[in-house]
Amino acid sequence: MKTKINRRKFVQLSAASSLFLAVGCVPKGDQQEEVVNVSNLPTTELNQFIKIDTQGKVTLMNHRPEMGQGTYQAIPMILAEELEVDINRVTIEQSPANSERYGRQMVVGSHSIQNEYDKLRKMGAAAKAMLISAAAERWQMDPSQCKAENGQVSNTQNKETLNYGELVEAAAQMEAPTDPKLKDPKAFKIIGQAIPRADIPLKTNGKAEFGIDKSVPGMLYASIERSPVFLGEVAEIDDSETRKVPGVKQVLKTSREVFGRTRHGVAVLADTYWAAYKGRQALKVTWDQKGLEANTSASIMEDYRKASAKNDDVQFEKGNADRVLSSSEVHTATYEMPYQAHVPMEPMNAIVHVEKDKAAFWGSTQNPNGIRSFLAEKLNISPENIAINYTFMGGGFGRRSLTDIAEEAADLSQQSGAPVKVIWTREDDQTQGPFRACSLNVLKGALDEEGQLNALEHKVVCQEIRNQTGNNNTSIGQMTGGINTEYGVPNMAVKAVVQKHYVPISYWRAVYHSTNPFAHESFIDEMANQAGKDPLAFRLAMMQDHPRFRRVLEEARKIVNWDAPRNLDQGRGIAIAERSGAHFAMVVDVSRDKQKINIDKITTILDLGTCVNPDTVKAQTEGSIVMGLSATLAGLTIENGAVAEQNFDSYSILKISQCPEIETHILPSDAKPDGAGESGLPTVAPALANAIYDLTGKRIRKLPLSLELNQTDIG
Amino acid sequence: MEVTLNINGEKKTVDLDPDMPLLWAIRDFVWLTGTKFGCGIGQCGACTVLMDGQPVRSCTLPVSAVSGAITTIEGLSENNDHPVQQAWIEAQVPQCGYCQSGQILNAVALLEKNASPSEEEIHRAMDGVLCRCGTYPRIRKAIKIASQ
Repeated sequence: MKTKINRRKFVQLSAASSLFLAVGCVPKGDQQEEVVNVSNLPTTELNQFIKIDTQGKVTLMNHRPEMGQGTYQAIPMILAEELEVDINRVTIEQSPANSERYGRQMVVGSHSIQNEYDKLRKMGAAAKAMLISAAAERWQMDPSQCKAENGQVSNTQNKETLNYGELVEAAAQMEAPTDPKLKDPKAFKIIGQAIPRADIPLKTNGKAEFGIDKSVPGMLYASIERSPVFLGEVAEIDDSETRKVPGVKQVLKTSREVFGRTRHGVAVLADTYWAAYKGRQALKVTWDQKGLEANTSASIMEDYRKASAKNDDVQFEKGNADRVLSSSEVHTATYEMPYQAHVPMEPMNAIVHVEKDKAAFWGSTQNPNGIRSFLAEKLNISPENIAINYTFMGGGFGRRSLTDIAEEAADLSQQSGAPVKVIWTREDDQTQGPFRACSLNVLKGALDEEGQLNALEHKVVCQEIRNQTGNNNTSIGQMTGGINTEYGVPNMAVKAVVQKHYVPISYWRAVYHSTNPFAHESFIDEMANQAGKDPLAFRLAMMQDHPRFRRVLEEARKIVNWDAPRNLDQGRGIAIAERSGAHFAMVVDVSRDKQKINIDKITTILDLGTCVNPDTVKAQTEGSIVMGLSATLAGLTIENGAVAEQNFDSYSILKISQCPEIETHILPSDAKPDGAGESGLPTVAPALANAIYDLTGKRIRKLPLSLELNQTDIG
Repeated sequence: MEVTLNINGEKKTVDLDPDMPLLWAIRDFVWLTGTKFGCGIGQCGACTVLMDGQPVRSCTLPVSAVSGAITTIEGLSENNDHPVQQAWIEAQVPQCGYCQSGQILNAVALLEKNASPSEEEIHRAMDGVLCRCGTYPRIRKAIKIASQ
């Protein structure tokens, strides 16, 4: 059924900023009407996030792709709170990819809740106000005498009620209020509650659909052989054996762009995935590797060490660190961190079908609108003729924010004329990148006569994600992220030396906050030790003017009973960090067990403003800690110009037996929400290394670290 | 080659390459997509199915070597109400959810053999099933709920 609806009631997104919302900003007198096919039921859309049918059934849209972060539930919770409906009785629907209606939909940087919170509250409140106005009109009374609660509006004068289903058609004709009144947070009934996630039952019976589960009629599968050395080009292809594999249809050269560089491959297309993979195994490709096979992790780190002598690119300066550090007794330490792969459990994949004037994408992506605009430009097809069908993601961690897999599928669909489903192997994913960057950090510090930190210099030598090619661009982007400049150190300098080479890097959960804090918070510990001070008290003394860091440190001290004596077989370390607005302290407890160090417990104290769903925030913190611990205990190495670790047998992400007890405390707050998806990750490595120092007296300055006590890594 | 598979109590005859791992037969021929591709070398457990009640890695088991009745996540219960599924929901285990079919089927096999496993026994049985989202603390909790 086609429902005629008045355009004025749509809540518009401001063109000036896709993140800013102005409710009802379409000028009065705009009577333009359009016919929209809303649904087969008499369902009415009050705005782009809220639909209610005449029976009162409420459908709330989740406009952000779900990769495990839980906004599938948290976004509707915010809408339901202001709309005054029972969150457990609403239907959650994944919205289409449509940036005009929904604004930014990309899921990165823990932004979804913190950036969308105000907008979603206004959407819920505007729809509620329209329902109240409809009831007031029906009862011929002032809206202030009506109250909305639990999916109905009541007349406060005579207790009469009308449910939302009875009001929705009239409400839809109302003008959306420009500035709807929001609830007092003290009256919240949903926000702040640990409400079970609606996507979880779909993920216990195999029903949740991921990109890799999609198929379309006539589709061919592609498995792509790539140069082990990242920038290798095809010199020769011998596909004689491949073409004998039953089911193989075509062998095609293909390529994709990754941050300004073209990456080449040879694709085998077949009518099943297994045939494509088998055909690929039979393929003989000779690669021109351009001499890059001489590179190793050690040679890259050696180049970084030489580059660290440079002293330009000062990014942050307070006082005069250079002067103090050249005239005092200085403690210097150098920290090294390896490359990491994202390895989401769902291998990378995409289906694209390119036709004459249109194209369609099916897959799991953090960036549905980015894929649309990328394909529009690549294929020279108008964006409205590109259908984006996005699914649940089997993990993202930043890897699925790129468009390169869709590019391969589009290229192969164009060449073959068929819809093409590209599936990467685990080896492809783990060895081709782009990776979390490796990093060298050099720190210098000097104490004053009272043993306070008087000067601190933190220099980062690393690649920069958006600046991987060309020699003229010196932009350092986010490269100094996670360096805590809030410490009350009178003389502080943060410096960056951008490195450029052929290993591809990208965004990885917490980005540079996943590396820099290891060096920074380990070094703060080193300086505390130089001063002969307790590491928590040393930090606290420097955070007196920063209430949020002070609060998490003070709470940590109480919660873990920091000042209690420990026996000789126990160690304890602390680290603090900020990521995406969230401030947190982490305490790691370790103990000696024969020749091994046990990680007994990881306690995190979080201040992240208003917490929409505390159970989801805890789950995210647990996940961040597990991922951070994986990156502390394992890394990738470059040998012969390529990644040495091919699959999970040699790159060991954390297993259940290695997962310590995790305890997370969320501090109450009425402030605006901060990002919750990466909290805890930045602090794992330094808090653990500081705990190991506390236990063994040995300082760890290189990751990955070993928990075996006889390993030379410790020391 | 024609192969008859007993999957979730139903006989399915499929014509395919005998080398094909059971995983791809299940996904691309029987069209049950709850069983997941993770690593292809039996190291991550995302592809776990039960063969006569025993957990097997379907990504490395050629379809010609299948010797028993297969249970996939879709066959575990009609209504998502197997005690392990219920415990998984109660403990709010999944994040992205991709590895969870493998986690659940491994846990089902563990609990069939050992109704109340110790933490060490849980670790031994579950160590081969990787979760990049880090749901391990909740997996431990869910197995304890299901073992009560």
